[in-house]
Amino acid sequence: MYQKTNHPHYEYLRDKWTKRHGKIQSEIFDKHKDSFEWLVNNSRQLTIGTLAGIFLLTSPIIPKIQTVFSSNEVTSNKAIDKGTFIIYDLKNVLPQTVRPLTQEEDKSVGEILSRTYGMNVVPELDGKRLNATYGIIGQEQHLARYPGDNMITHFDNLTEQEKFWDYGMASGLGAWGYFTNSQSAMSQKDIDREKYYIAVQTFMAPNFYDNPKDYLDFFKYRKMLVVNPQNGKAIVADIADAGPSPSTGKQLGGSPEVMTYLERYDGSQRGPVLYFFIDNPSDKIPLGPVSL
Amino acid sequence: MKSKHFYSHLIETTDITIELAEIELTSDERVHLISLIEANIHSTVIETVLSNLTKEDKKIFLKNLVSNDHEIIWSHLKSKTKNIEEKISKSVGILKKDLYKDIKEIQKEKN
Repeated sequence: MYQKTNHPHYEYLRDKWTKRHGKIQSEIFDKHKDSFEWLVNNSRQLTIGTLAGIFLLTSPIIPKIQTVFSSNEVTSNKAIDKGTFIIYDLKNVLPQTVRPLTQEEDKSVGEILSRTYGMNVVPELDGKRLNATYGIIGQEQHLARYPGDNMITHFDNLTEQEKFWDYGMASGLGAWGYFTNSQSAMSQKDIDREKYYIAVQTFMAPNFYDNPKDYLDFFKYRKMLVVNPQNGKAIVADIADAGPSPSTGKQLGGSPEVMTYLERYDGSQRGPVLYFFIDNPSDKIPLGPVSL
Repeated sequence: MKSKHFYSHLIETTDITIELAEIELTSDERVHLISLIEANIHSTVIETVLSNLTKEDKKIFLKNLVSNDHEIIWSHLKSKTKNIEEKISKSVGILKKDLYKDIKEIQKEKN
């Protein structure tokens, strides 16, 4: 795959200055959080933005960084970034290292996510939970949706093809086989289920082997809220595959579309996400990116 | 024409951008680094101002910042703080020295 190489001097300064900026931002929020919260809660003009607080942490792929308090933001009627607060809130709850959360931490994170994204988000549903709710996410490939689906037939348009072609298609099927029987029978729901899928370690869920069928039925296309705690980006994804192997050191995998949206990468740049069940009995919450 | 930020008249970054010009960078890389300089300066200014205000005045300042009326911002700051312009210039000056040093380190390495 073609990969653009940056000048090392650029990378050195970018990393150093992004880190410095993150440090100043953290100090500001640590010292003056109350005032910002007051502003968010009291400004009638406040709309909600998309540049989820990239300023607390590095976000090197942003071509031009913008400042959260920038007056430009205001004049262009863009939002004050509520995402900044979720990053701050999560930073206070999440451990320094990536590990399974305690019950108390799960509860706090669930409350923060539910409050922020406006949906009921829980670590456990119907008495079932996964082995983790906070873990390292790896890159998955596209999955075949029906017999005969391939890289030529897979994309809706050229833009998507250009963006996601390089990830390739997995040689095997998802955990539940094809999403539908044929191209003509494929619905938008099937398309979205593949596009926004995650692979989780279903086989490591507590008590899984007591009743595997029951657990697999429960996990099949189960909707989860997946959140990058370092930029506040969130997506509603569905479980469509099992994995990765525990030996990889990763706890879950994301489709090319999920990873791209969350700005998560595999390899040396890999990082954690939060993944919680969505308590959504009427199934009204659609798959895909979630706006704050 | 209205300046970009309420503090723009206090900040001069030409010396840093001239130093950046000496380093081999693509146009996009240069733009990104300049935006990082701006972001660092902006956060430093906000931190300096907030650290010199009381709890209630912080709220007024942030509200004024949202309104983007430079005159109101300054009128409030000048009535509630002492020598705030000097303090902003001083803290940004320290930051700029650090950024300048980072660039110089690269140039030294190159030679």
